[in-house]
Amino acid sequence: MSTPELSYEQARAELATVVEKLEAGGSTLEESLALWERGERLATVCQQWLDGARARLDAARTESE
Amino acid sequence: MTEAATTPPSTTPENPWPVRVVSQKIASWIARLGWIWVDGQIAQISRRPGASTVFLTLRDPSADLSLTVTTNRDVLDSGAPNLADGARVVVHAKPDFFPARGTLSLRADEIRQVGIGELLARIEHLKKLLRAEGLFDRARKRPLPFLPRRIGLITGRASAAERDVRDNARRRWPAIDFRIVNVAVQGPGAVPQILDALAVLDADDSVDVIVLARGGGSVEDLLPFSDEALCRAVFACRTPVVSAIGHETDVPLVDYVADLRASTPTDAAKRIVPDLAEEVRLIGGARQQLRRRVTQLLDREQQRLDAIRSRPVLARPEAMVDQRETEVRALRERGTRCLSHRLDRAGGELEHTLARLRALSPAATLQRGYAIVQRPDGAVVRSPDEVGAGDRLRVRLAGGELTATVEG
Repeated sequence: MSTPELSYEQARAELATVVEKLEAGGSTLEESLALWERGERLATVCQQWLDGARARLDAARTESE
Repeated sequence: MTEAATTPPSTTPENPWPVRVVSQKIASWIARLGWIWVDGQIAQISRRPGASTVFLTLRDPSADLSLTVTTNRDVLDSGAPNLADGARVVVHAKPDFFPARGTLSLRADEIRQVGIGELLARIEHLKKLLRAEGLFDRARKRPLPFLPRRIGLITGRASAAERDVRDNARRRWPAIDFRIVNVAVQGPGAVPQILDALAVLDADDSVDVIVLARGGGSVEDLLPFSDEALCRAVFACRTPVVSAIGHETDVPLVDYVADLRASTPTDAAKRIVPDLAEEVRLIGGARQQLRRRVTQLLDREQQRLDAIRSRPVLARPEAMVDQRETEVRALRERGTRCLSHRLDRAGGELEHTLARLRALSPAATLQRGYAIVQRPDGAVVRSPDEVGAGDRLRVRLAGGELTATVEG
């Protein structure tokens, strides 16, 4: 699970898949927990990408002003 | 003639030619040219009062070359009475060597001033020729740089054209750099000076565009800008050339050859440099657009991510455990309920059994005054036959026991 190397799009796509699986149910508790943990990690990766992008945007803005 | 040029004359230091021989030989060579028609421009005219001979300086309109023409005052008066400096003439003359001074002149017997109509007809003719040669082809035009490092400007000294080009260009792009070459922009000498200036500016690597500017003027004033040599020089320039001659309506031939024709010097300034303020505004607009787009993109992605994260499976992961806990609790309750139900039922059965047990007990009967008689061995006596006199008996009453002896 090389999470940091995922692109934003990869992370988001996998996150959507994880959520669908969780919503479909039918997994064991152990599997569900593992899926949820993966989902949380993926959501964090997505958020990091977005935060990073915003920070870069702000930096560029400050620089040009 | 070829023989004369290649064969050295038979002269030695010991056997030189006297001046008169050389003079005579030159005169005879020159006389061979005979009568010719010469086209030129009057650079100078000197009529000396009283003198019958008039001296004219005839020069080439395109090059710094001139010849002296001598003629009779009558010839001048009959052919071109109002001849002035700068006029174009056609002269019928014979090259003439003047041995007394060793000078050469054209002795003219006919001088015709070339009228403006004919000059314009010549220009029309030249225009067709140059067009046929491809000097006006659109495909041969070089594009102007977006922002020239340096502008080469050829114009009259302290002229309005110079000011118009320079000031308007600086207004649009304050840091713009000029290399200005001042030349005569009309009359004899204009073409050679402009040709020199073109050569200098074209050779300067830092000059990215050359502007040829001149304010409005008469048709005669603008003639140099229809000169064939000038047109060809502009065509040969490696650097793009912008022509800005006269007013909107003036179209000298150089306008067709130039890479760009500006209608006026002010127009030229607009064409050669971009407007800094406008460019800054465009860049600012583009930058804003860029930011808006990126921000929109980020916001949209944030919404998508928020939507996913707000789905119950992620937003309330404890539901996953809660649900199972509920199931466990329900099962446990079912178990408990089931057990307690069974205990209740067991308790009921016990009571019932006890009641039945109690119902079967003789205690109540004894209470009513009955007694149970038992032999010492415990056997219940049901008939007098079962006992004999003197036997000891146990009598059980509701309140307790007593012993009795059988008397008979």
